[in-house]
Amino acid sequence: MAKTILIVDDSESIREVVSFTLENAGYNVIVAIDGADALPHLDGKVIDLLLTDLHMPNMDGINLIREVRKIEAYKRIPILFLTTESQRDKKIEAKAAGATGWIIKPFVPAKLLAAITKVMR
Amino acid sequence: MDNFQKKFIEEATDLINNLEEALLSLERNKADNELIAAVFRIMHSLKGGGGMFGFDDISSFTHNLETIYDEVRSGRLKVTADLLGITFSSVDHLRSLLDPNALKNDQINKNHSILLGKINAFLKQDNTVELVDSADNTEQESDGTNHTFYIYFAPDEAIMDNGTNPLYLIDELCSFGNSLVFPKTGKIPELSEFNYSKCYTAWDLFLITPEDINNIQDVFIFVEEESELEITKIADFDILSNKKIIDNIHERYNEKQNFDSTVLKSLIDEQVEKKDSQTVTVSEKLKVFTKENVISSIRVSSEKIDELMNLVSELVTAQASLSLFVEENNEFKLNHLSENIENITRQLRDTTFSVSLIPIETMLTRFHRLIRDLSSEFDKNIEFVTEGAETELDKTLIQGLTDPLMHIIRNSVDHGIEPEEERIKKGKSKQGKIHLSAFYSGASVIIKIQDDGRGIDIEKVRVKALEKKLILPDKKYTDKEMLDIIFLPGFSTAKNVTDVSGRGVGMDVVKRKIDEIRGIVELESKENAGTSIVIKLPLTLSIIDGLLVEISNTKYVMPLNFVNKIYSYEHEQFDKAFNNIIVVDGKQIPFYYLRKEFEITGEPLSVEYLILVKYEDKRIGLVVDNVLGEYQAVLKPLGKLYKSHEIISGATILGDGTIALVLDTNKIIHEFSFKS
Repeated sequence: MAKTILIVDDSESIREVVSFTLENAGYNVIVAIDGADALPHLDGKVIDLLLTDLHMPNMDGINLIREVRKIEAYKRIPILFLTTESQRDKKIEAKAAGATGWIIKPFVPAKLLAAITKVMR
Repeated sequence: MDNFQKKFIEEATDLINNLEEALLSLERNKADNELIAAVFRIMHSLKGGGGMFGFDDISSFTHNLETIYDEVRSGRLKVTADLLGITFSSVDHLRSLLDPNALKNDQINKNHSILLGKINAFLKQDNTVELVDSADNTEQESDGTNHTFYIYFAPDEAIMDNGTNPLYLIDELCSFGNSLVFPKTGKIPELSEFNYSKCYTAWDLFLITPEDINNIQDVFIFVEEESELEITKIADFDILSNKKIIDNIHERYNEKQNFDSTVLKSLIDEQVEKKDSQTVTVSEKLKVFTKENVISSIRVSSEKIDELMNLVSELVTAQASLSLFVEENNEFKLNHLSENIENITRQLRDTTFSVSLIPIETMLTRFHRLIRDLSSEFDKNIEFVTEGAETELDKTLIQGLTDPLMHIIRNSVDHGIEPEEERIKKGKSKQGKIHLSAFYSGASVIIKIQDDGRGIDIEKVRVKALEKKLILPDKKYTDKEMLDIIFLPGFSTAKNVTDVSGRGVGMDVVKRKIDEIRGIVELESKENAGTSIVIKLPLTLSIIDGLLVEISNTKYVMPLNFVNKIYSYEHEQFDKAFNNIIVVDGKQIPFYYLRKEFEITGEPLSVEYLILVKYEDKRIGLVVDNVLGEYQAVLKPLGKLYKSHEIISGATILGDGTIALVLDTNKIIHEFSFKS
């Protein structure tokens, strides 16, 4: 069965290019525009991977990761976050919140897919 | 990818506008942390998106700008006028960078380097900031020969808690080349103490690959901070081909010996220090970004909205035919249905309209910016106050309105508001004020731009108008008439042609543009007290609620929102009325007998109707043969030939397929009152 990925990003263009890439790679994609918008999707249905931006209005990525880790069904799903070059502080913060890894923007589709196969098969 | 780029440009334009808006607010309140965070976040998004969609110039340009605001955010730098100045110029520059070929233009390219220089100079003042050069991820090319690496990987017990599967990492490593993997299971506890969610295994791995050590390190990039990891190049050749070494390794594994550094050293050459596993405690307080914009809307292309509009128009027309049919056939059940559909159609129409309405706020930022730039250019001190920014207007109206408003504001800044010293001499406050207010008035939107500047010198207008032969030398004109002259083509009073106004386009262009969107513009001015310009616009352009009337078997529609009351009178009363004035409800009302004004011959009816319509602040009567009822009119343009007929704003198709002209009552009264 195709894996389901939840994408959370406040930028429409990023959402589009990411979901386009992932759908072409055969994944099911759910999109949300920010943390607050993402939470209702996390209702216990199978989500195999969460891909989230960090800087977002309403609820930022780090808080979203914390919330997701509180939900029993998603305690161990891989969570990747999007970040720009080496924002070390943010990375540590996100990892402490429970993230599995990150993808550095800008990225090409191949890099995105590589990062995903790194944590999910 | 093209499609994504287009999306990005749209989005980036919004982002840049938001950035400008936030900066303008920040200028007023330099210490507002929420604004600073917003500015930072927008820059961050621009940078990220720019890089994603091939706008590398935007990305690299925003990068250092973002670094500055990161410093500001963390309190190490302060927001200064200087910094804002650079940022504002950068915002403009970012707009031009949205064109992928922008840097091929010399002017833009020059500007680019100047701005970058300024930004970098700014960063260098603050030596805590490291400048990051944009290109630092040069990947090392491998030379193709195989090396042997020894890798020791002992993940933290809790590694799987954050979604990592360590086996994937081992897998990934093995995909680099030939490998020899030994799991170390010594730490697995007794079954009673075994916790399935923990990882007790460590791995020893020999990898033969031409890859660079950095690429191997990259495999562990997500986990290196919570694992014990050692990656050492132990040979410049493939050790698997050396049976002796392999045997030795197997032997050691079977004897449960560690492959520690000394052992491997004895086997081959090099050894690097083992990395200590690091536990990182994060105690930094979370910075929650407060939102300035709650996303509660979606983006729809304006073409779709136009299409929807068209469909609704068609529906309204079709519905009219249905109503007519029902009327003629008078069938109870059908009657009920038709009324229902009429209701729904009306609601659908209103909702569709409201979709295409956008708040005038969208153009106000530009004006804020314009005034800010112009006041520094002219060295004037001006406060721009807006009111009713949430007032909504049809998007096409807003497009048509921006230019005229820009021009009016330019005039106010350039000619209206006096320099500080002059204001002080006149006993005015030091700071000039331009006030833009917008509000609804019936089915119109009124936009008023008021300044407290020197006002218009009517004497000067008179002299100039005489010079240009726009008025007669011996005729007396009222002040209002004199002011109206300003709207005539070819009139401009500015003594010195400045950069801002006086480009040969004057108020006549403003008037023409506003006429084009069926608006009315009026000007009031008092010397030394200021000028105010009032623009009155229809709420929408394509469907109106109208009153269907009849004159000599021809049907006309009047916009219902101008209609005040309807009276019926004997024809004689109009006939004998002196000076076209009739007494209605004890008040004298001037009226126009449309049969006569339209030059229609033939016998008038014995009973006729007087329709009271609003005109400016007065009420004026229009006399028609018959009133047929309310009608939703879908306005269709009349085509080029009839364009010059100002009194008719369009035509509409009636239920029976015939055509009715839609009358513009304001223009009718204006036109006929001039005639008489």
